[in-house]
Order: sequence, then C-alpha cells, then structure tokens
Amino acid sequence: MAKTRVLVEFGMGTSLRREDYTEAAKRAIKDALWHNSVSVAELFDFPKDAMIIDAEVGVAQPDQVDIAALKAIFPYGQPNIKVTQGGLDVEKPHAAGRTVIANAAVIVSFDMERA
Amino acid sequence: MMETADMAATLGEKRIILEMGTGNDLYGRYYTKAARRAVQDALHHSSITLFSKLNIDHSQMRVEVTIAVQDREQVDCVLVAQDLPRGRATVRAVKGGLNIADETSDSLHVVATAAVEAWLPDQAPAYKLSS
Repeated sequence: MAKTRVLVEFGMGTSLRREDYTEAAKRAIKDALWHNSVSVAELFDFPKDAMIIDAEVGVAQPDQVDIAALKAIFPYGQPNIKVTQGGLDVEKPHAAGRTVIANAAVIVSFDMERA
Repeated sequence: MMETADMAATLGEKRIILEMGTGNDLYGRYYTKAARRAVQDALHHSSITLFSKLNIDHSQMRVEVTIAVQDREQVDCVLVAQDLPRGRATVRAVKGGLNIADETSDSLHVVATAAVEAWLPDQAPAYKLSS
C-alpha cells in the first residue's frame, strides 16, 4: 500500500498592500490548517511524527515565496513544500500595485499497510 | 440525550476530524441560511481521502454538527442535516455565533459558526506502519 493519502486540507491567504507572496502563502497554509482539528494518527494509533506532510501552494509569482518561512508554520513534522504558478493577482484600479491571493493545500499521508 | 443503541454504536469510535466554519446572512435575518453556509465552509476546507484509499464505507462515519447562533430556535436543523453529503449526521443548535446590529438603520447581520465532528470505528487493529 505504501504512501497513503488520508486527508487534504484547503486554504486561501492574501497580501492586500505589500505584495508579500510569502505572507499570502503563510496565511493560506494557516487557513488550511486552522479550519480543521485532525486526529487521523490517533485513528490508527500511529505516532504524530509518522504523518507525511506535503503542502502545495499556488501564487502568481512562485519565486517570491520563502519556503523556509512556510516550513516554520507547521507545529510538527517535516513538510515537503511545493510552490507552483497559480493563485490570483488583482490589479489595483486606482493605484499602482496589486492584491495577492494564494491558494494552499496540505496533504497528510502515512506509509502504511494492512496489519 | 443519546438512545441506548446509539451509545453502543459510539463505543470503540474515534473522532477523526473537527471541521470548523462560519457563515453569514447579512440582510435577511435568516439563521438557517447562515447555518447552512457555515456548514459548507466547514466541509469544504478538507477532504477525507482515507475512505476511498482504505475502502472504508461512508456509512461507517457518524457526523455530529453543532450550529451556534444567537437565536437557536430559528435554525431548521432538519434542513441543515440534509446538507451533509456523507455519513450519519445529527444536527443541533446552541446559543452562540454573533449578531451585529446597527440601531441607526435597524439592520442586523447574522453570523453562524459550525462545528462538524466526524467519527469512525477504531482502525488501529487493521493497519500498521510500513518498514
């Protein structure tokens, strides 16, 4: 069975004024994480550090995202973080600049098999 | 209060997730609409993929929904229960949430919050970590 995806969490985050893609990405991940209180490790009596965490973030400028700052959000585990082209930038109508929207998904898996 | 049969069914169950959401009805003072939006918000921030991965039938899942609004009597819990797509759902309403009133214009914004708890039979005997 190997790596088995048991849960996916979704979130959205923004940077309204500073065009801070890292901050928008952080808020998107926090939105995903803090809408749910997850107890899937307990369901199988697995230790929490057996959770394999993959986070995927979509923003319009992926190279602007500080991935180390995103890793620091997670309370436990070593997340693998992938930032891709996505999200949404909205141009400001009456001033220079744009509003930044990030989308995030946090995927929880276990390397597990039938007992 | 729980029936005796339900009590027996809950033995050996574990809560796998608590999903939280919020929903508003801004102009209609319709508490059920705010409640349904709160449930949708709670549900759509996660996908529990272990059902398909491990071939666990959704009917094994018990779902407890708690709606918090300022006027709990106005929530149609039967209607809210119909919004739960999977599992065996029960809905109750309690006093909470938030109402924002503007005395100068007689407007009232209704804010509902929803807690969706999902329970499954203990899976610890059936699975182990690989390696």
